[in-house]
Amino acid sequence: MTQHKNPYKPIDAEVIDIIDESPTIKSFVLKPAEPIPFKAGQFVELTLPGSGEAPFTPSSSPSQKETMEISIMKAGRVTGQLHDIPKGTTLGIRGPLGNGYPLDKFAGKQVYIVGGGVGLAPIRSLFLALVERKNDFAGIVCRYGARTPEDFIYKHTTFNEWPNIDGVNMKLTADQGNDQWKHNVGVVTTILSPDDVKINNSVAVVCGPPIMMKFVTLKLLEFGFKAEQIYLSMEKNMSCGIGMCGHCMIGKYYVCKDGPVFTYDQIKDYPKIWE
Amino acid sequence: MGTVFVENLKALFDAVSAERELYIPKNAGAHYVYKLYRPDEEAVFNEVRVCTPIKEFLFPIRELAAVFPQEEDQFEVKPFAVFGLKDCDLRSIEILDNVFKEDDFKDPLYISRREKMFIIASDCTEPAENCFCYLFGGKSWAEKGFDMNVSPVEGGFLVESGSDTGNDFLAKAHFAQVQPGQIAQRDENRKKADQILAENNAKFKLDRPVQEIVEGADGEQLYTAQAEGCVECQACTRVCPTCHCFYLQDTKLKDYYGKMKMWDSCMRMSYAAVAGGENPRKAISERIKHRLLHKFSYYLQRYGINMCVGCGRCIDAESGKMDLRRLLRELNDEVNRK
Ligand code: SF4
Ligand code: FES
Repeated sequence: MTQHKNPYKPIDAEVIDIIDESPTIKSFVLKPAEPIPFKAGQFVELTLPGSGEAPFTPSSSPSQKETMEISIMKAGRVTGQLHDIPKGTTLGIRGPLGNGYPLDKFAGKQVYIVGGGVGLAPIRSLFLALVERKNDFAGIVCRYGARTPEDFIYKHTTFNEWPNIDGVNMKLTADQGNDQWKHNVGVVTTILSPDDVKINNSVAVVCGPPIMMKFVTLKLLEFGFKAEQIYLSMEKNMSCGIGMCGHCMIGKYYVCKDGPVFTYDQIKDYPKIWE
Repeated sequence: MGTVFVENLKALFDAVSAERELYIPKNAGAHYVYKLYRPDEEAVFNEVRVCTPIKEFLFPIRELAAVFPQEEDQFEVKPFAVFGLKDCDLRSIEILDNVFKEDDFKDPLYISRREKMFIIASDCTEPAENCFCYLFGGKSWAEKGFDMNVSPVEGGFLVESGSDTGNDFLAKAHFAQVQPGQIAQRDENRKKADQILAENNAKFKLDRPVQEIVEGADGEQLYTAQAEGCVECQACTRVCPTCHCFYLQDTKLKDYYGKMKMWDSCMRMSYAAVAGGENPRKAISERIKHRLLHKFSYYLQRYGINMCVGCGRCIDAESGKMDLRRLLRELNDEVNRK
């Protein structure tokens, strides 16, 4: 009998740590039974055995091999249950899946990263990968926004570490501030400026809730970015993660296989990409 | 590859079923369904495709796709044969093969079944009213994609082999030789059946490539009109031999956990909804349009062929309200008017 590797079958991954990031987001440090080498922007399907499965993009650096970090926002049934599991739980994991960010295409350019909410998770992985080979790029410019200061994730790194890395330019914003808030107040588009990067030698990477991605994309186009310079990390309903079940289609593309990273140019003509 | 003659189907079925389980068409009201063959069974020749889609043999409605944590997967599939597949059925298998056997990921369940399936095709002698394979390059008989093909002639049937497995089988079976004139007679029958198809479909013939039609037509009004008659039963996608949407459902088994792979339908309301609540295809009309675009544009761009074989099962299942042929013809007219 012919044996084929079964792409539906998860491998074990132990939850070795859980970090409360914000009122609705927790990060899980996982130790898979075998390493899962991935590229920044690729995703995995995480199974809560017997209950359900959902796609997540790791937030840890691809060069961190033994463990993998995944930040999960409480949004539905499975993510809600995941928020309730204790340390030591064994989850299932399938992957890596999807294409990831084309770092080689970014070489020599300024990388303009715009993130919102839990969208910082994939961006963190990309950010770490970029910083590790910083000299390959003309600079890293990062703009990140969340609803309130409490909603910021990776607080320590985003507030203290990243802004101090040489070659990194960072700005933060909160839709609503508070007394201690020293950064900008307003939605993320209010901290974007056409002078942030040299537009003709840069790529933009956008990741966040659909509505935020939409307005950021429109803003970038207004600044003069071309549709093929804007990289979007798309979120669609997924099940199989391997280009078979049909759930995740945007036009002819399977988000799970041809994405989740697309240039705006690839998908702009399809209906309702932001919904 | 050789051709032989058998006087009755029973002789063929007995020989095939001696080696593997054989599924044959059985009358069920106005239609045929598949049933396991037993030697005391009546051997019927289905003049047209069976009403259920062939995908059921390769991709069952519900199956256990993975068990974990556990070392080995065992997909024990016994060799089996199916009789009575038509040209449209064979083309539907080709369409599914592209999806489940595509290079980087392969579906081990599908492939195990596919490797074990012995395909005995047969000519359509009486194409049905709703058969529109003719519009998409199909015809009443198959040239490839089978292990054996059966064609009725006077006094019996010609059996042609189309693969090494088919050849081996015929070599062992010792059936009679083809008589002079029988091949010509078969070809004559085929021509007549193709003629019926051409006549039945004359008024639906499209005057531009179907991709151009589904991409070029806005279709707003037509899709909305279709949606009004739709009760979201999803029958069209279930009977469709090429529709292959599914979802994985996690379950708890006695000692393990499992993932069930179950048929799904893009006609279902929450099919594309995400956890945050967004849904790109809330309206039924948007789902119908997506379904057509998938079949005649997206799939085609990916694999080079249409994802519809024109078997007409969706029209049968629709009790006459939604007719894909008519819809395509109307979209065609809309594009013409532009
Ligand atoms: S859409 Fe209808 S006609 Fe086309 S393959 Fe499916 S069932 Fe057959
Ligand atoms: S999630 Fe199944 S095709 Fe993409």
